Amino acid sequence: MLRIVGGQVYDPAHGIDGVVQDVCIQDGRIVENVDAAPTIDASGMIVFPGGVDVHTHVAGGSINFARAMTPEDHRRTTAFIRSQTNRAGVGGMTPTTFATGYLYAGMGWTTVNEAAVPILSAKHTHEELRDIPIVDKSCCVLLANNEILLDLLEAGEMERAREVVAWQIWASKAYGVKAVNPGGVAAWKYGKNAEQLSEPVDGYHKVTPAKIVAGLAQIVDDLGLPHPLHLHCNNLGVPGNLTTTLETMQNLDGRRAHMAHLQYHAYGGDDWSTMRSEAPQLADYMNAHRNFTTDAGAVLFGDTVTITADGPWQHLLYKLTGRKWGNLDVENETGCGIVPYTYRPTNLVNAVQWAVGLELLLLIDDPWRVFLTTDHPNGACFWRYPEIIQLLMCRDFRRDCMAGQSDKALSRIHLPDIDREYTLYEIATITSAGPARALGLPRKGHLGVGADADVVIYDQDDDVARMFGHPRYVIKGGEIVIEDGDIRATPEGRGLLVRPPHDEQIEAFLRPLFEDYYTMSFDNYSVEMERIQQPEICDCIDTE
Amino acid sequence: MGGKVSCTLGEVKNRADFVLYWGGNPAECHPRHFTKYALMPKGRFVPRGRKDRTMVLVDIRETKSVKAADIFLQIRPGKDFEALSILRALVKGQHVDEKQVAETGLTLEQLTDLVDRMKRAKFGVMFFGMGLSMTRGKHMNSASILTLAAELNAYTKFVAMPMRGHGNVTGADVVMRWTTGYPFGVNFSRGYPRYNPGEFSTVDLLVRGDVDAALILGADPGATMPQPAIDHLARIPTVVLDPKVTHTSRLARVHITTAVTGISAPGTGYRMDEIPLPLRPALRSPYPTDEDVVRRIHQAVAEKPDWMAAGGQTTTTQI
Amino acid sequence: MSAIRLTLKEQPGVPLETEVLSPDALADLAHDEIRSLPVQLGKRRRRLDDFFEIEGERSDEIEVHGDLSLLKWIGRGMSRGRLTIHGNVGMHLGAYMTGGSIEVHGDAGDWVGAEMGDGLISVHGNAGGQIGAAYRGSPTGMRGGTIVIDGSTGLEVGMRMKKGTIVIGDTAKDFAGLQMKGGNIVLLAGAELRTGAWMIRGTIISLKPIAMLPTFRLARSYNPEFLRLYARFLSGLGITLPCAADEGRYDLYSGDVSVPGKGEIFVWQPAEAAASR
Repeated sequence: MLRIVGGQVYDPAHGIDGVVQDVCIQDGRIVENVDAAPTIDASGMIVFPGGVDVHTHVAGGSINFARAMTPEDHRRTTAFIRSQTNRAGVGGMTPTTFATGYLYAGMGWTTVNEAAVPILSAKHTHEELRDIPIVDKSCCVLLANNEILLDLLEAGEMERAREVVAWQIWASKAYGVKAVNPGGVAAWKYGKNAEQLSEPVDGYHKVTPAKIVAGLAQIVDDLGLPHPLHLHCNNLGVPGNLTTTLETMQNLDGRRAHMAHLQYHAYGGDDWSTMRSEAPQLADYMNAHRNFTTDAGAVLFGDTVTITADGPWQHLLYKLTGRKWGNLDVENETGCGIVPYTYRPTNLVNAVQWAVGLELLLLIDDPWRVFLTTDHPNGACFWRYPEIIQLLMCRDFRRDCMAGQSDKALSRIHLPDIDREYTLYEIATITSAGPARALGLPRKGHLGVGADADVVIYDQDDDVARMFGHPRYVIKGGEIVIEDGDIRATPEGRGLLVRPPHDEQIEAFLRPLFEDYYTMSFDNYSVEMERIQQPEICDCIDTE
Repeated sequence: MGGKVSCTLGEVKNRADFVLYWGGNPAECHPRHFTKYALMPKGRFVPRGRKDRTMVLVDIRETKSVKAADIFLQIRPGKDFEALSILRALVKGQHVDEKQVAETGLTLEQLTDLVDRMKRAKFGVMFFGMGLSMTRGKHMNSASILTLAAELNAYTKFVAMPMRGHGNVTGADVVMRWTTGYPFGVNFSRGYPRYNPGEFSTVDLLVRGDVDAALILGADPGATMPQPAIDHLARIPTVVLDPKVTHTSRLARVHITTAVTGISAPGTGYRMDEIPLPLRPALRSPYPTDEDVVRRIHQAVAEKPDWMAAGGQTTTTQI
Repeated sequence: MSAIRLTLKEQPGVPLETEVLSPDALADLAHDEIRSLPVQLGKRRRRLDDFFEIEGERSDEIEVHGDLSLLKWIGRGMSRGRLTIHGNVGMHLGAYMTGGSIEVHGDAGDWVGAEMGDGLISVHGNAGGQIGAAYRGSPTGMRGGTIVIDGSTGLEVGMRMKKGTIVIGDTAKDFAGLQMKGGNIVLLAGAELRTGAWMIRGTIISLKPIAMLPTFRLARSYNPEFLRLYARFLSGLGITLPCAADEGRYDLYSGDVSVPGKGEIFVWQPAEAAASR
């Protein structure tokens, strides 16, 4: 039991905007009232629901590959020294699993969604998720280049495709469905890509990226998944890709979708030298079409490592940068590519990327539909979120950051003309309430009765980045986990899953295909339930 | 700077029309590799199986694997790095002098032909064994073949992967990475992980005598390591967890018999391509699992005074 | 200001990490403060005076006596002052240093001057591998300064170095100048195999014939002008580089074409050898 007294509460889900009121906690949930509970005096402090990350890469084969590739970063970053409460580890661009939990919780984030899981190595992802303490975790399974599904779409067998997707979600113990460069990763298996939405994917006659996207979005809606199709469009990062992004959104024709890291998909121009921001056009489209949510995928200047299932893009980035390149194609399902990268303010392309992320956050007018992410670690590391919050809340700070930029760079962006400054209420929306709603997690992202008692308490501070970087208290499931920067407790987090109903007969269809295409026994393919830490099966919804 | 460009074994099965083995003898060391993944199986895009694939073997001597090869290139011992350097140059159209090729034991014609075949392949794969990775040049030999594969992607699809064997070495590597950031050779003496192969790798620590105790799990260094390392293991208190009597258990002060993982203990094994496989025990064992034993040791250690709190490093700045 | 003098009194049983043995750390400290500085013995923290007799205080001139083969990180990141070691010394000597000088009357371990920015390190005995190199995964090794090893060295000398000079008096093992990006390596007694492998830029000068990789090409044979200037710089370190036309010529090899890189390896051909070619 716990009573938080006297804090200014920001709870956008209930329209509470800085009202001084008590928050009561019992048995890990928010309750109306508690008697004789210990209290936290939060006078002069700010109370938020715990942060929710809708799109991050923290566990599994790809990030673990990236860890192996970047020892130089582990050496220079903050070390986590083993103590009675916490395990040893390192932070940096690709934090170790335990450090990932400490860093997220240390910043007030209590729920994270790992955005890219191949079914074939999902056991690995879940092993890592188990080793990320404190936060609750969900994950999205990669399906837009799954060759069994593409074959079904080619044959027009939508019904069966839906059963297969339902089976695959449960087999991988996932929460949602992710599409990455639909068709392009499959084509990459022979060194090709899918750049045109309406052209057949390499090796197919009828299946196009457009059909994959529409088909998967339809299946996700038919199954009633609480989180819509999580979509990484074709042509990520390429100048002029706005056309592809808009076409993809139009092609969805009113179906729900979460557009991942939109920053990487909002460029004009014909090549690297003419690349410019098209954020206003994309924001206008977002503003007019309520079937979409998005996350920023914002970029901050500095060193990072890029990790994506988008293999062809990573090969291009390797050729552009001449730096290390990791690639791992996953049989019949997906791929992954890894390239270390440094975003430099003096680089025109990087300057545009930096601005686009912020422009989207500032120009999309509904904070319930655009969320704070950096597509960690692609645009920047998640532990740098407080810097972005400062950029959103302080126009003058933004201007200071742009002071050193060239006229050429400034002519390609719109940020100098934007006056909007986020309020605390809006920050609570884009970091917690909004992403929780988009994920379809009814007990997350708010402080109403019945919610999970995931609460952050900040000391009020004019230095916004410092305030959000160093919460005074972080409470997870009713337990104080962080106090004044110290890790007080490291409880296990929950694994959030869905179990869409499916026809058990579908295994009879899958098994022979599997024996032909894969190199693993079908009986070893599914993730066993015992592998999930504190599993919680979330309800499917009626999407009509 | 190169990199590592790889895939899971099913991609090889389904797509590879060009398969090269360098410094390995899969016919004897990985007997199922040809039949299950790389040569014989009919794959989605190589429907005729073996007929649709070209196999090249590079080695210093004729092994049983030669029979399975379409082309055998017998390289002079210790010249792998040189041959791979020439291949990288040829791939990029750089001129290499016939005379300079001679030291490798191969001819310019052979290497040019190999490059042509690689570029013509739709999906090429290079597997490399200890004949490459453990001979003079070691990690740079591996880096050479990995970089060659990466660079070939400018022309066609190409991947490379090491033929790792013996136990769950890949699993250890994978778990070390997510818990410490580093694959092996990790030092915790300052309370956080540090990595420096050559300084902290097991064989180097033992040869130099830098450690004063050893706990050994799932390995038999007494059979595989150089003699000075084995001598040091015999000198210091060595504790071995192993289902059976091994060279190492014979020289150890303590040998704890444990259940055999995969047969009478559950767990997860990682294949050489880092795909996790569940290990489901078929039998029961009277012995505890490795995990049980390590947990109990850990518990007992945790009851001792905390050496870290009692004067370990306090700053989180790394040395 | 007289030197601080440390004498090893007890050999550690396992490696001892003594990054505090650096002018930057000691220069402003009183005697008692120096004595109580932390050192890391295996997993335990100990005091500097557990291992050393210490004389003096407040000086950026440090003398260390004894067999320090198990002592690591001496002079780490130092930026000023003078450190003199009478005896052998362990790994990472002068790693990350940005100024000042280190002199070793004995042998040194691996990673001498790794990723250093500036300063001077001279080792009068032999040294290990990875001299002036980049640590694993780092894109860049030594960025400036000078390392002189009178004796022989191990593998990967100057790996990924970008600037500065490394002089090796006796033979260097394989991969000297591996992935070099700039700077100079002078091999007074040649090297074993694969010198300059994956070289991008930079200069290696060998006064003895060396085995060349097949991916280096003989470009020309001459007495380049810049070597005269460079010889003048080296003579300041007591090293003589032959460069007079009547003494011989340099064969210039360029590569590594496997990259393809624009590195240069100059191999000295004394007059009689050059004439007999």
